[in-house]
Amino acid sequence: MSALLEVKDVVTAYGKIEALKGVSLEVQQGSITCLLGPNGAGKTTLLMTTAGVLKPKAGSIRFGGNEIAGAAPRAIVARGIALVPENRLVFPNMTVVENLNAGGYPRNDKAEIAADVDRMMTRFPVLKERAMQDAGTLSGGEQQMLSVARALMSRPKLLLMDEPSLGLAPLIVEEIFRIIRELHKDGATIFLVEQNAHMALTVANHFYLIEQGKVTFSGDPGSLAEDEVIRRAYLGSARA
Amino acid sequence: MLVDLIQNTLDGLTIGAAYALLALGFTLIFGVLRRINLSYGPAIMLGCYAATWFHVQFQAGLLALAAITLAATVLAGAYVERLCFAPHRDRSAIAAMVASFAIWMQLEELATLVLPNHLYAFPALYEGGPLGFGPFTLRADALVMLAVTAVACIALQRLLYRSRFGLAVRAVIDQPVAARLVGINLPWVFVRVFALASAIGAMAGYLIVASAEQVTPMLGMWSTLKGMLAMMLGGLGSLPGAIVGGLALGLIEAHSQWFFGPQVRDLTAYFLLFLLLALRPSGLWTTTRSVS
Repeated sequence: MSALLEVKDVVTAYGKIEALKGVSLEVQQGSITCLLGPNGAGKTTLLMTTAGVLKPKAGSIRFGGNEIAGAAPRAIVARGIALVPENRLVFPNMTVVENLNAGGYPRNDKAEIAADVDRMMTRFPVLKERAMQDAGTLSGGEQQMLSVARALMSRPKLLLMDEPSLGLAPLIVEEIFRIIRELHKDGATIFLVEQNAHMALTVANHFYLIEQGKVTFSGDPGSLAEDEVIRRAYLGSARA
Repeated sequence: MLVDLIQNTLDGLTIGAAYALLALGFTLIFGVLRRINLSYGPAIMLGCYAATWFHVQFQAGLLALAAITLAATVLAGAYVERLCFAPHRDRSAIAAMVASFAIWMQLEELATLVLPNHLYAFPALYEGGPLGFGPFTLRADALVMLAVTAVACIALQRLLYRSRFGLAVRAVIDQPVAARLVGINLPWVFVRVFALASAIGAMAGYLIVASAEQVTPMLGMWSTLKGMLAMMLGGLGSLPGAIVGGLALGLIEAHSQWFFGPQVRDLTAYFLLFLLLALRPSGLWTTTRSVS
């Protein structure tokens, strides 16, 4: 396996406060890589920096060998990285189909976009039932499916997922992780940020722990006792 | 009595149509930027002044004047966007609003520097008297106003719901962070929306000065005020709301004038508006959902 995404010494700051204090990690081609850590550790900041919404102050982000740190989000989507954002962020006053079309915005192959919309409807049957409904009327779980489908519409080589289980009922969480496994089986490379460490470790090939803006552990599931991972993912080692 | 009521309703709808156009432009800008553009009206005023200048200098024809109003307003709108909104995009909303107020003063002075009189005549669309429909009368330019508004609303609806640009605009209005994530170029959308909003405002401005047959520097403040009020009345940031709000504002004004006299028309109208907003703070037309 080779590294599809290489993050090196990335520093991202909000004003004077550094949320990422030199983060380095890699996502291997074809893997599910998880990033675990407590609230405020910098997980979302790292994904937003990778997607280009936040600009890093220092460091390098290479995707398929090309430097993308500081590039505009639209350039990064065009290269093949799509983010499923925290809290889903669907377009609430647009229909499900319009949300999917928006996901295909960078592409200009009209017929292929329409075919992909149909494919998403097959993959997520609940979206087909709600095709003409405004996304704001969907349940949390349905919005999460829509958010994933919207990201897939750009045909990404790397899918970034930010807390896809956040605020969802256990059954829906199971469903989301089933979809993650399925996407992986179809060849997708996934970089997953999760609070739900237990669920994340069931799908991960590799995981990182991030605490206070720094990667503090890296290993395969099983290389650290699960209760230790969970304890540090929720609380951070500093407070243990 | 009934004839008067219907006549007032017709008059109210006519001026309301102009308010609706002003509010549509205002709402488009507010929707994509979440910023109040106080220089919206002054840009329209400058457009109308440019046309007036051509009228005074060269006696340009009606269509030429309309084209000049449109072009000059769009240019002034783009200037406002570059100066007030582009630099403050990720920063303070107050800074952008104050900057747009400063540009307002600049645009007003520019207009009065070139055309220093308080009032200039503007050619009418139609020289004849009002047209009669049974017991009712309607001026020809009122018909034009209603027709232009209807066509503009339909065209805007088509543009927003059937084109790639429209998809981008609605995505930015709905959820700007997600819009960036799916690859929409926000600055590109902002500039075009400003141009579109200015063009819509210019149509309203041109029809208003042509039916008043005069133009004064007050047109700037008047347009910003009416556009903003109609937008708030209809529901902040909602496009159908802008149309409903504009028509409602026109109706309220026309009926207050008839019931309470022209001297207290604005006093009554704005008191009613205040009452309405106090009872329905989110406006008349509220279907907008937000998901956070």
